[in-house]
Amino acid sequence: MKIKSALILIAVGFASLEARADRLVIKGSDTLGAKLVPQLAEQFKAQHPGTTFDIAAEGSTTGIAAIIDGTAEIGMSSRRAKPAEVSAATGKGKNLKPTIVAYDGIAVIVNSANPIKGLTKKQVEQIFTGEVSDWSAVGGSGGKISIYTRNTSSGTYSDFKEMAMKKRDYAGSSQKMAGNEQIAAEVGKNPNGVGYVGMAYVKASGVKAMPVDGVTPSAQSVQQHSYAYWRPTFYYTNGEPSGLAKQFLDFTIAPAGQKIVAQVGFVPIK
Amino acid sequence: MFNFNRRISFIVALASLSILPMSILRAQDAGALLDLLVKKQLITDQEAEEVRAELTKEVSTTSAGKWKLSNPITEIELYGDARLRYEYRAGRTDDLQPLGAPGAGVAGHRDWQERERERYRLRLGLRITLADDWFAGVRLETSTSPRSTNVTFGDDSGVNGPFSKDSDRISVGQAYLGYKGFHDITLTAGRMPQPLITTLMTWDGDINPEGLAEQWKHTFNFEFGGGTTESAAGYSKEGGKGGAIAQSSSEPFKLKIDVFANFAQFVYDDSNPENPLGARSTTSANTGNPQLVPNTDAFMLAWQVGARFTFPKNIYAQIAPTLYNYTGNGDTFNVHYVGGSETLPNGGTSGSLATNQTGINSLLVFDMPWEIGWKLGELPMRIFGDFAVNFEGDDRALAAGHPGKGDQRYAYQIGVGVGQLKAKRDWQINVFWQHTEQYSLDPNLVDSDLFDSRVNMEGVAVQAGYMLSDAVTFNITYGYGWRSDSSLGTGGTGDIGINPLDEYQIFQADLNVKF
Repeated sequence: MKIKSALILIAVGFASLEARADRLVIKGSDTLGAKLVPQLAEQFKAQHPGTTFDIAAEGSTTGIAAIIDGTAEIGMSSRRAKPAEVSAATGKGKNLKPTIVAYDGIAVIVNSANPIKGLTKKQVEQIFTGEVSDWSAVGGSGGKISIYTRNTSSGTYSDFKEMAMKKRDYAGSSQKMAGNEQIAAEVGKNPNGVGYVGMAYVKASGVKAMPVDGVTPSAQSVQQHSYAYWRPTFYYTNGEPSGLAKQFLDFTIAPAGQKIVAQVGFVPIK
Repeated sequence: MFNFNRRISFIVALASLSILPMSILRAQDAGALLDLLVKKQLITDQEAEEVRAELTKEVSTTSAGKWKLSNPITEIELYGDARLRYEYRAGRTDDLQPLGAPGAGVAGHRDWQERERERYRLRLGLRITLADDWFAGVRLETSTSPRSTNVTFGDDSGVNGPFSKDSDRISVGQAYLGYKGFHDITLTAGRMPQPLITTLMTWDGDINPEGLAEQWKHTFNFEFGGGTTESAAGYSKEGGKGGAIAQSSSEPFKLKIDVFANFAQFVYDDSNPENPLGARSTTSANTGNPQLVPNTDAFMLAWQVGARFTFPKNIYAQIAPTLYNYTGNGDTFNVHYVGGSETLPNGGTSGSLATNQTGINSLLVFDMPWEIGWKLGELPMRIFGDFAVNFEGDDRALAAGHPGKGDQRYAYQIGVGVGQLKAKRDWQINVFWQHTEQYSLDPNLVDSDLFDSRVNMEGVAVQAGYMLSDAVTFNITYGYGWRSDSSLGTGGTGDIGINPLDEYQIFQADLNVKF
C-alpha cells in the first residue's frame, strides 16, 4: 500500500512538473538556437520573472520532429517543413504552423583586395560549381579561385546550393569550413578567396560583400527580397500557439524582439 | 483601403490555389505565384507561408502526396506493360530422319513437333532522373530467360498442385546508372536497355545487355534556298495593286542530320574463378585433345557509327553500320560452335542437338541495319532491312567440322512496313524476308520467336497490330521459315527440339497493355 502511494505521488510529481506553466521547451535550428533565441529568452525572462527555458539547438529537423512528437512547444527551423514531415504530423494529429521570425541573408564575400565590383547570379553559380576556376572569367584580374563553403552538415550548405546553384554540386576543390567566422577569416587572408556568410559577417576584416545582379546584400534589400540570397526562418508550433509559447512568439516578432534579431545579425521581418 | 484590398487578394489567392486540382498542384508549384503576390505586396511573407503550409498539408493527404522521393531525384517515371499471348509453334524434321527405328519420342521422316501455349508477361520499370546530370533505371520482369519475358500458364511442376507459382518469378531485367553531363554524350553502366540500333535478325528485343555503353549524338541542321520573290506585274481583270503584283514564296529545303556513335563493352560471360586453386583443369570438348579450360572473361565489343537524315515532308533515312567482336573466352560459351548436323539423330547424347549450339568462337560480325521512311498522304510507310557478314566465317565453319562451308557467313533481312502504333485506332503491318546462314551471326542473340532462335534459316514474317485504345494493342505475328542450307544443321537453342529444323512456323496473338 505504501509502495502504491509512493508511486502515485511520484506520478503526480512528474505530471505537475510537465504542467508547469512557466517553462518553455524550444528545440531545433542551430542557426537560430546558437545566439538569437537564447538572447531573446534572456530578455523575455527579464520581463517575465520565473520563466525558464529549455533550449536545444540541434538542427531544424529536430525542431520539427519535436513538434510532431510533442516534446517541445516551439520548433526552431531555418527551412520550411518538408512534405514528409507535414504528412507525419498530420498522421499524429498535429498541425505544423510556421511563423516567420526573422530573415537570414547570405552574402557572397571576396577578399577586399579583389578588384571585382559585383557578380551575376549565373557567375555565382559558375564559381561555386567550379564551372569557372579563374577570376578572369568573371571580370576579375586573374588568379585561381579558392572556394570556401560551410561543411556538409550545415543547413546553409544545402540552402546555398538550392538558392544559388540550382542544386548542383559544389566544386570538388571547395574547402569546407566549420562556420561563418572561419569562412570570413580565410577569405580575408586569401586574395583569390570567395565564400558566403551570414549578414552579420560582411563587415569582417579583409572581406567585402559582392552585389549580386547589382543588388548589395543589406537588411533593406533582404526585407524587400530584391537581394537574391535570403531565406525566412521560422518558429513551428502545433497549430495556433497558446500560453507561454504564444507570449514568447509574440515577443520575438514584436519591436523589442526584432531589435535583438538585428543585433545578432539577422534581418528583422519589418 | 490598402489593407482591405490586400486581405481580399489574400483570400482570392488562397481560394485560387485551393480550387486547382491537388493532383497536379503541389505547395512547391504554388511557390512562384505566392512569391509574386508577396513581391506585389498583395500578401505578406507570413500569409504566403501559411498558404504554403496549408497546401503542403493538403497535398500530403492525397495519393500523390504520399509518395516520398529523396531530394536528389528530380524526376521519376513509372512505366511498364502486361501482355497475354496465345502461341502456336511447330517444327519439322527433314527427309533423313529417322536414323533409328521410329517410335515414341523418336523422330520420323518429316515429323512435326508442335506446341501450343498461353502465356503472359509483366514488366514494371522506373526511369529516374537525378541531380547533376545523372540518371538511373530499374525494371522488373517475369521469366529468367534473357530472350523472353513470358511465363506459360499451367507449366509449373505438379508438386504444389495446379495454378502454382513455380515459374511466375520476377527477375531484375534492367538495373543501370548513367551520366549525361557531357554535351551530346550519354554514358551508361549496368544491365541496360539496348544502347545500339538493331533488328530482330541480330538481337532479340528482350535482351538487356550488361556492361558499359557510350553514346554520342549530334544534330546538324541545314537550310537551302527558300525566300519570297515578287513576279512582274501581270494582267488582272480586277486590276489594282493586289491583282497586278503576285508574290511567290518558296519553302527552304531543310535537312536535319543526326550523327551518332554508339560504343558498348558487354560482359558476355564471367569466368569463375580466373585463378583456381592448384592446376587449371582441362577439357577435350573442342579438339578431342586435352586443353586448359579458359579462365578469362568473355566480352562482346560493339562499335556503331551512323546517321539519320530527316528531309522535308516526313522523309527520313537511317543507317547504322556496326562491328561486333569478342574478346576472352568465359567459362560457358568457350566450346567451339557446331550448330547441329544433318547426319546425326535428334535424340541422345551424341545426337545433333547435343552438339554445341552456343559457342562464340570466330565471330567478327559487321552488321548494317537501315530504314527509309516516308508518308503517303497521312499514312507512314517504310522499307527496312539489315545486312550482316561474319569476317571469320571460314574459321567458324572449320571449327564446326565443315571446312568447305565458310561461305555461309551472310545474313540479311528486307521488309516493308505500313502504318504506325501511337494512338487509339492506329494500325501497322510489317512484312519482311529474312535469311541467316549457319556461320553468320551469334545464335545466342538472334530473335527467339520468328525462327526459333536459329540460324541457317530463311523465311517470311508478318507482324500486324491495332490499337484498341491508347494503352491497349492487339498484335498478330506469323512466321514461316525453312532451312537455308540443307547440308548443315540449324544452329541455336530454341523451343523446338529438332536440329536440323527443316521447316518451322509460328503464330502469336497478343493483347498488350502499356502504361
